[in-house]
Amino acid sequence: MGYVAVTAGEEVITRAEQLFEKQRVDGDSAELGIDQVDEQLGRLTAQAMSESGLYAPRLAGLAVKQAQGDTIEAAFLLRAYRSTLERYDETVTVDPGEMIASRRVSPAFKDVPGGQILGATKDYTQRLLDFALEGDGETSDPTAEWDVDDAGDPDRLTNVTELLREENLLYEPDEVDSEEPTDTTRKSVTHPPARDAVLQELARGETGAITALGYSALRGYGQVHPTLAEVRVGRLPVRITHPYTEEPVTVTHTEVTESEAVVPVYEKRDDPQFAFGYGLTFGRNERKAIGMTVLDASIQLDSEAEPAENAEFVLDTIDGMDSFGFIEHLKLPHYVTFQSILDRIRSIRKRQGVSAEGAADTGSTHQPAAEVSDDD
Amino acid sequence: MTERDSNKGVDDSDPQAAETDGGTHVTSDSVDAALDDIETTGVAGYNYAYLDEHTKREVRRAMLKAVAIPGHQVPYASRPMPLARGWGTGGIQASLSLLDPTDTFKVIDQGADESVNAANIRRLAADTADVETTTDTTAADVIQSRHRLPEEVLTDEQRLVLQVPITDALRKVDPSDTANRRRHAHQNYGKMWVHLYENVVEYGEINIASRYPTMVAGRYLMDPSPIPRWDVPKLDDADHLTILAAGREARIYAVPPHTSVEPLAFEDRAFTVERFPDQACHACGSTDTYLVEVSEETADEGGFETRYACNDSSFCAKRRENPALSKDHHLDQSGVDWGPGTPDAGDGGETE
Repeated sequence: MGYVAVTAGEEVITRAEQLFEKQRVDGDSAELGIDQVDEQLGRLTAQAMSESGLYAPRLAGLAVKQAQGDTIEAAFLLRAYRSTLERYDETVTVDPGEMIASRRVSPAFKDVPGGQILGATKDYTQRLLDFALEGDGETSDPTAEWDVDDAGDPDRLTNVTELLREENLLYEPDEVDSEEPTDTTRKSVTHPPARDAVLQELARGETGAITALGYSALRGYGQVHPTLAEVRVGRLPVRITHPYTEEPVTVTHTEVTESEAVVPVYEKRDDPQFAFGYGLTFGRNERKAIGMTVLDASIQLDSEAEPAENAEFVLDTIDGMDSFGFIEHLKLPHYVTFQSILDRIRSIRKRQGVSAEGAADTGSTHQPAAEVSDDD
Repeated sequence: MTERDSNKGVDDSDPQAAETDGGTHVTSDSVDAALDDIETTGVAGYNYAYLDEHTKREVRRAMLKAVAIPGHQVPYASRPMPLARGWGTGGIQASLSLLDPTDTFKVIDQGADESVNAANIRRLAADTADVETTTDTTAADVIQSRHRLPEEVLTDEQRLVLQVPITDALRKVDPSDTANRRRHAHQNYGKMWVHLYENVVEYGEINIASRYPTMVAGRYLMDPSPIPRWDVPKLDDADHLTILAAGREARIYAVPPHTSVEPLAFEDRAFTVERFPDQACHACGSTDTYLVEVSEETADEGGFETRYACNDSSFCAKRRENPALSKDHHLDQSGVDWGPGTPDAGDGGETE
């Protein structure tokens, strides 16, 4: 008892950690390098960066490796690390129109200024297992033989929504204060939330949850069925104000996925305009960006009728750290509260004259009328 | 002064300043060097008590506000912790913000010091906040607990931090925080009263096990965290400060010393605690403590027997040494009222 048991508790924790680590190194294969994770499993690191809100590809590679491929666990490691870092400065707001796009499609129009850029995608690939990847031989670059000229840096692409804005067809959501943006990691969300808080929470949301809730709106639990103005993947500059010259300087780039949608839900009767939805996420993750777009547009409808249109419901459920933590906490001991629950059900059974052998048939209805408080 | 303003005061060229103010100081601007830093420093590279000083100050401000408005939920920017949310991250943020190196810290989970999660939280505090740890309730300055108040009476020298999964008692009757905050503002608890009344109609008594809705200082309805009903009366007019902290839901609230804490009940359906009729702890013989039942296999095949044991494992150990030890043995005065005994009347709460 006492101190001995405490020591045992801590030793058990260490042993459990060691067993978990053993699972990673148990096979005969070579150790996985962080660069390999970042380069060859880039979708995993992108998801971890997006859900953690920390753009750091090598750290994300480390986190994915340490978490043995569990993206939420990896995002969790990154968030816990991020929260201990000093915040030195804020970046200058950048216009996503500056994006150096490697991919850009506009479903809304057949052709758009700047053209459609299909880029790297699996969208039209037949999903057949490629057994050629099975071998661990040399990798080869299938584009090595391409006969193309380097066209240099692309021109700035006109945003498709700009075309609609010129015609005044697009409703502008409330302007976000870009001088003092909300930061939900420093100020917890209260309701009703500002739109920038909604966008930040969505951008950090768990990919599966964003996809599922976005899909729910399309599936019929909502009014938003958007037309995507465009989906882009590309690099955005990160700029800070130079401490001496006070000019903005580009310090690095981040890869992002952006999605913009128009929604044929008219904000005003006398001046019909499309509603607007926006999605932006770190790394390449088109399904999350599009899901975020649907949810942004849905939340602007501000209704309690459908889950996706209720900001409280969406923001309360999409964060991977929150949902994973609370779902898995059910593994913790609950014997104190369960004893309390047993006390209630035994007392009620006794009052109703029900013995351990079962109920005398009193013709009572069998509807679950209420639950005992066990939601801890 | 906002956090951002104050950060501007930090001289980036002075690593000492950066380190004191904000946790891990990354000495290099390259990711490789940052990775090297992580490998070489570990927990030792973090700020005192893990959290940076700004965060601890913010948590303490939230606690002060919570003390000033007993039972009111104060939002704070709950930080991501190296523990999963829902596993005591609010409690540990509150504890780490309270602790200083002279403090002795006790962590219990469901009444047990030796629980794995309690051990994990204790080792984070011991590693980063340089505190002594103890399993002895009377020796602790700060006690972090999940779902229990200790059996031994807490004193005005002690602070209790309860881990909170669900911050609002009204969540049971309405999931919307917006609607519930309005109800709290208007002290409009009609929906909860109706819920309790419907319980009585359906079952003849109130069917709430733990997380019992409780009025604090006659003003705010509070979720006392999933402590059993057994522990709720101990909060009333207590000598110690209770901080209730939720990490996932980012709220802190408090019951200051000598504050009235009254569980909701009806005149003809009184609040009742858990009953353990005719049972005593099989280890120490106590009949005035919260017991939990444990089933064990018996010698005959397929059979099992149920035994009861004290839930507070630290106090149970003391009682085994000295079965007559009272719950207020460490106080100057005796007869301090602290929690219920074990009533054996199974009358379901009618007071007539």
